[in-house]
Amino acid sequence: MRRFWSATAVALLLGGLITLGWLTLPDRVPAARPYEGQTIRAVVNAEFVKYSLTLVEQDLYDKLGVKIETEVIPADAFVAKTLLEFNSGGSPWDLVMFGPSNMPDYGRHFEPLEPWVEKLKLDFAMDDIVPVFAKVMLRYQGKLVSMPYDGDIHIMYWNKVAFERPDNRAKFKAKYKYDLQPPKTWKQWDDAAEFFHGWGWDGSQAKLFGAGASYKPSGSGFSYYWWRQRFFAYGGNYFDANMKPLINSAAGVRALEEMVRTMPYYPPGVLLFESEEPKTMLIKGEVPLLHSWTSTGKRVGNPGESLIVGKAGFGIVPGAEIDGKVVHRPAITPGRGMAVSKYSKKKEVTMKVLEFISLPDQSLKIVMDAKTIMDPWRVSHLRSEKFRKLFPDADKYLDAIEQSFPYLVPDPVIPAADEYQRKLAFEITEALAKRKYPKDALDSAAREWDKVTERRGPEKQKAAWGEKLAEMKSLGIEYRADWAAKAK
Amino acid sequence: MAIALARSVVVTQRAKRHRLWRRVGHGLTYLGLAVALVFFLGPFFWIVTTSLKGNEDFFAFPPVWIPLEPSLKHYAALFTRSSGARYFTNSMVLSTLSMVAALVVSLPTAYSIARWRFGGGLLSIFLLALRMLPAIALIIPIYIVYKLLGVTNNYLALIVIYTVLYLPFAVWLLVGFLRDFPVEIEEAAMIDGCSRLRALVQVVVPIIAPGMAVVALFAFIATWNEFLFAIVLTGIETKTMMVLVTSFTSGGTDMFYGEASASVVLGVLPAFAVAFMLQRYLVKGLALGGTRG
Repeated sequence: MRRFWSATAVALLLGGLITLGWLTLPDRVPAARPYEGQTIRAVVNAEFVKYSLTLVEQDLYDKLGVKIETEVIPADAFVAKTLLEFNSGGSPWDLVMFGPSNMPDYGRHFEPLEPWVEKLKLDFAMDDIVPVFAKVMLRYQGKLVSMPYDGDIHIMYWNKVAFERPDNRAKFKAKYKYDLQPPKTWKQWDDAAEFFHGWGWDGSQAKLFGAGASYKPSGSGFSYYWWRQRFFAYGGNYFDANMKPLINSAAGVRALEEMVRTMPYYPPGVLLFESEEPKTMLIKGEVPLLHSWTSTGKRVGNPGESLIVGKAGFGIVPGAEIDGKVVHRPAITPGRGMAVSKYSKKKEVTMKVLEFISLPDQSLKIVMDAKTIMDPWRVSHLRSEKFRKLFPDADKYLDAIEQSFPYLVPDPVIPAADEYQRKLAFEITEALAKRKYPKDALDSAAREWDKVTERRGPEKQKAAWGEKLAEMKSLGIEYRADWAAKAK
Repeated sequence: MAIALARSVVVTQRAKRHRLWRRVGHGLTYLGLAVALVFFLGPFFWIVTTSLKGNEDFFAFPPVWIPLEPSLKHYAALFTRSSGARYFTNSMVLSTLSMVAALVVSLPTAYSIARWRFGGGLLSIFLLALRMLPAIALIIPIYIVYKLLGVTNNYLALIVIYTVLYLPFAVWLLVGFLRDFPVEIEEAAMIDGCSRLRALVQVVVPIIAPGMAVVALFAFIATWNEFLFAIVLTGIETKTMMVLVTSFTSGGTDMFYGEASASVVLGVLPAFAVAFMLQRYLVKGLALGGTRG
């Protein structure tokens, strides 16, 4: 009898333990998929963005039971096509990727998020979003309508071999009378580009280049971003309070003249370079210096293609020395956001998807993957131990990004931002190609800007710009007419 | 005797010199052709090999002209990850149906103009005017009309617009062929008991086949390469190969050069295949068109 009770007790104990184990293991309990069988439609502007969504799609399905069908509209046609759909009073998409600089054109077509946060108890972890992105990228007429997806900014990359070889340092000091170091100002950048151009600064016999850049005019505004970071460092701003363009002010002209003057130190074909060509030249050790999108860092650290793994430096984009202090003005370039279309018939599930892909751990997967070229936008991305150990010096790369955040300059986030940007990028490249003098090119761009303002309605534009002007002021960015002359 | 000998030597030297110059001329011609071939086919060769390379070879220096281990992985990715199969099928369906539609509509139109001056001079001028309108000027009104009718993202709607766009060229070309075709042969067929339709199909069409081949090829290639209407009037179900190619090659292709190249290769091949198939007729058609007075 005693044996019976002992055996029963052991059996019960074992049974209990097995049941407890079964219940506590999450895999054993089939997860409820509240939106099983639903598919939402997303629209993005490149295949690599579509690819980025595939990184979270399995988890999304496991958790919510939702699938995403993604339409890709090529970048150069994206704004025109999506706005055409929206402005005709509908859209076939539920989830919409967009450039935050175009928020004034898109915002009215987006569903405000806050009522849904309340209704569905959504958690977008707003405190974890980098403050400057939270401030300038997410709201339309004061309402939260989108989440960041890609925290595009520029940082500076350099090849340490170029800057640390004793021979190079001695030669540079003899020529320029100061120590060779990663440039802090545009003057130092131009000196370094001139110095390094045309010889084997890595100790080889190869004729290497002075610096890299992307000067192609396009919807992505490459030449515009390169000009803009000098322009703002020299005290520029897009418009004055009355919508008079300031791009052809002394700051703009100085920035463009410097770019034109230093063209010979850049690789041939730079006028046709989009984002990838100079990145490739950097990682192949052909240019010692480049400021570019933060995604470049992930290519720098990829041993499958990079020859400078562990040999690259990362820092803030140069600025200008004003009254003894260096002012940096790196650009938000321009990033990507995700929003829910107000015409969507699946708003609830799309809100859940937006929340899911924005979660710190899910979005981390997207921004860590080099193939997505999506960049960190949460503080937790920058602090992630996994990310900080992704490649040699990844921690320094992430620190450089974080160091740049307080100085970022947003695009002119007013209606027709895309149009203003295209007109200016075109004229900048006209000057770089020496088809126009810098001042003439910028005057021409300013006239085009006036026409855009006139067409869109000066008062409406002025009101929108007024808000942005205040926002920029709160970021410490104001027009300084005297800086262009005194910037060193 | 001595003079005759000297003359023959001179003649022989002249002949030798002539042969030499002829050879040099041929050599230079072939050299020129080789340079032109490299110039025109070089980029395509590079794209084909890039589509077969691994990512590490895209930017290798010295360049990897022919990959040591060619792989079809980019093609596979194109079809699995990027909906390539759907886009490819869409392009095939649209191009083929547009080609057929262009032929079916243009032949009777051209026939009625050639034989009966249907519509007087006005129809011809109207058709020509249609050809002169730039597509960009039409796109917004057409989009609005299609949107109101609810036919965006629809094969049929795209085929209709493509047919309208290609009709002027097709009609003008076929009118020329039909006017050159001796009407007596057609009448003889009808005296032998053919209806006019049968005479057209069984007598006229085989003879003007080169012209129809040119129309077919033009419609197929133009539809295959068309981008503006394909981007604006399509949705996820009807997007074409050209849109896919552009979505890889615009906005920073980054790590997707392999897929981009594969999409370009696939984007070119069908048009190339159709041109190859119709080549026999095409050469004849262009030659006839060229000599027609």
